[in-house]
Amino acid sequence: MSGVPLLSIENLQVHFRTPDGANRAVDGVSFAIQAGETLAIVGESGCGKSVTAMSILRLLPEPPASIAGAIRFEGENLLDLPINAMRKIRGNDISVIFQEPMTSLNPVLTVGRQIGETLRLHQGLSRREAEARAVEMLTLVGIPEPVRRVREYPHQLSGGMRQRVMIAIALACSPKLLIADEPTTALDVTIQAQILDLMRDLKRRVGAAIMLITHDLGVVAEVADRVVVMYAGRKVEEAPVRDLFRAPRHPYTRGLMGAVPKLGAVEHGATERLAEIPGMVPSLKQRIEGCVFAGRCPDVTDLCRTYAPALEPKAPAHLAACHYAPKDALAA
Amino acid sequence: MLGYIGRRILATIPVMAVVGLFVFSLLYFAPGDPAAIIAGDQATPDDVARIRASLGLDRPFLVRFGEWSWQILHGDLGTSIFTNLPVTTMIGQRVQPTVSLMLVTLVLAIVVAVPLGVVAAWKAGSLIDRLVMGLAVLGFSVPVFVVGYVLAYVFALELGWLPVQGYTPIEQGLWPWFSNLILPAVTLGLVYIALIARVTRATMLDVLSQDYVRTARAKGLGQGPVLFIHALKNAAVPIVTVIGIGIALLIGGAVVTETVFAIPGLGRLTVDAILRRDYPVIQGVVLLFSFVYVLVNLAIDLFYTLLDPRIRY
Repeated sequence: MSGVPLLSIENLQVHFRTPDGANRAVDGVSFAIQAGETLAIVGESGCGKSVTAMSILRLLPEPPASIAGAIRFEGENLLDLPINAMRKIRGNDISVIFQEPMTSLNPVLTVGRQIGETLRLHQGLSRREAEARAVEMLTLVGIPEPVRRVREYPHQLSGGMRQRVMIAIALACSPKLLIADEPTTALDVTIQAQILDLMRDLKRRVGAAIMLITHDLGVVAEVADRVVVMYAGRKVEEAPVRDLFRAPRHPYTRGLMGAVPKLGAVEHGATERLAEIPGMVPSLKQRIEGCVFAGRCPDVTDLCRTYAPALEPKAPAHLAACHYAPKDALAA
Repeated sequence: MLGYIGRRILATIPVMAVVGLFVFSLLYFAPGDPAAIIAGDQATPDDVARIRASLGLDRPFLVRFGEWSWQILHGDLGTSIFTNLPVTTMIGQRVQPTVSLMLVTLVLAIVVAVPLGVVAAWKAGSLIDRLVMGLAVLGFSVPVFVVGYVLAYVFALELGWLPVQGYTPIEQGLWPWFSNLILPAVTLGLVYIALIARVTRATMLDVLSQDYVRTARAKGLGQGPVLFIHALKNAAVPIVTVIGIGIALLIGGAVVTETVFAIPGLGRLTVDAILRRDYPVIQGVVLLFSFVYVLVNLAIDLFYTLLDPRIRY
């Protein structure tokens, strides 16, 4: 993990203009992804994780969104690129898998056309070559009878198959970075596992870095190398996946882990209530004084309400933004 | 699919029967006596009665309707009371100008209105959007004859760019034919353009917020392919539907437009026939228009299957 990272996000700010003031959806987030690495971004709905992902490809409509900070891809700030240069990166160097396979495919174009489109656009393939490649891609993502399927329309495929098609589209041009925005959320559990296996398998073959956006800690534990935890538009913790699960430093991360049901948690026949994080995410329309999590933190003190804790190393490669997070002696 | 087409064609029979009955009774009950008009001011009541008997107008309603329907099924629309020519011949003489006018208007309207609607939706809320929508409201609210006279005054009389009125058959050259049709087509097309542009904008606004449009952008496609391939194809069904419904607007508007621009088409024929109470001609023209309208909408229903693979009959 040395040299220039594949993607580095520096002090990203994404604000949305609304009739009653700016909504600070992302407020000063920084992280980096190395080539070939899988980084998970975790947080509950509305924490800014999807907005972060969409701002990397500049898919947010501006206005109402306004993006500040820097998003460096292979050293180049994407926010400074003209739109034409940005289009050469989209679907080619960086591609996305969206959450909703049912609605993310165009209903009136064939599957083959939708896969072949990026190949024709970015690699200059002919219609026939693109279709041949589309058949290969469908085979790669495990769709049976690819020669027939390539001429079918999305409504003729199941949800799991459509997500496989989305993956085929995303990987067609062998991107360096794949952004997967809740790729399994809309699928049922058995299909989820298949899709995760597929992504891991393809990552090994294609060698793409993956930015995995999810609220599912089970998925994180299975596929991620490192984890960024976001809360209310900020990064509150970042750590290698094993460190995070072994010793979460931020109370919000601990809360998230407590909210995951565990097999065998039912003892003596009595159902134990799943731990939850009380309260709601604060409104992002006002400046938050003190720690963003203060309103819901079980260990909150006056210090938290007054001064925002800085993101600081608590252990090697382990950052957290909490005044009371335990700190290893080894931490720099 | 073939079964569906067959059923749909069969279904036009009762529709046309109702239209026929309606047309026939409307004129049967309408005030004004063709016999009296033919006979003229000097005629005695006996003369009028004789003429009426010779035209068969003194017989009962159902007998006349039955006879009329039988003739029509044999391709005979009757004979004009005034010119004594077969109605089919009279319609035949007038078809070309009207068909030309409608086709030119149709093409013009689609070519202008669809891109306007798409751009308005893409730039929703902008100055362009407000301009397009303002134009649409104007198109709806200004009567056809006003537009016609204003255009003729400005472009034909003042600027002298285009002929004031009349019609040149296409056999006499493409440009003379086309130049005579430009002003009438713009006049007739304005309402139609307004209608199509509004529906295009509304449908596109909805489509542009769909997930698959975001997918298309994420692939690196430019604005053109995103709008006109990924989005417009999804918006096509409502747009094509309104184009079909709008054919009725064209038929109604053609009557006025042909009068304003002195085009010897079916619209003029209709107006003249109504003024003279030339029943067979009125009936023939109305039946023809209804039949065309039913056929166009059948064609559009079938066209849906080409636009949207989810529609199958």
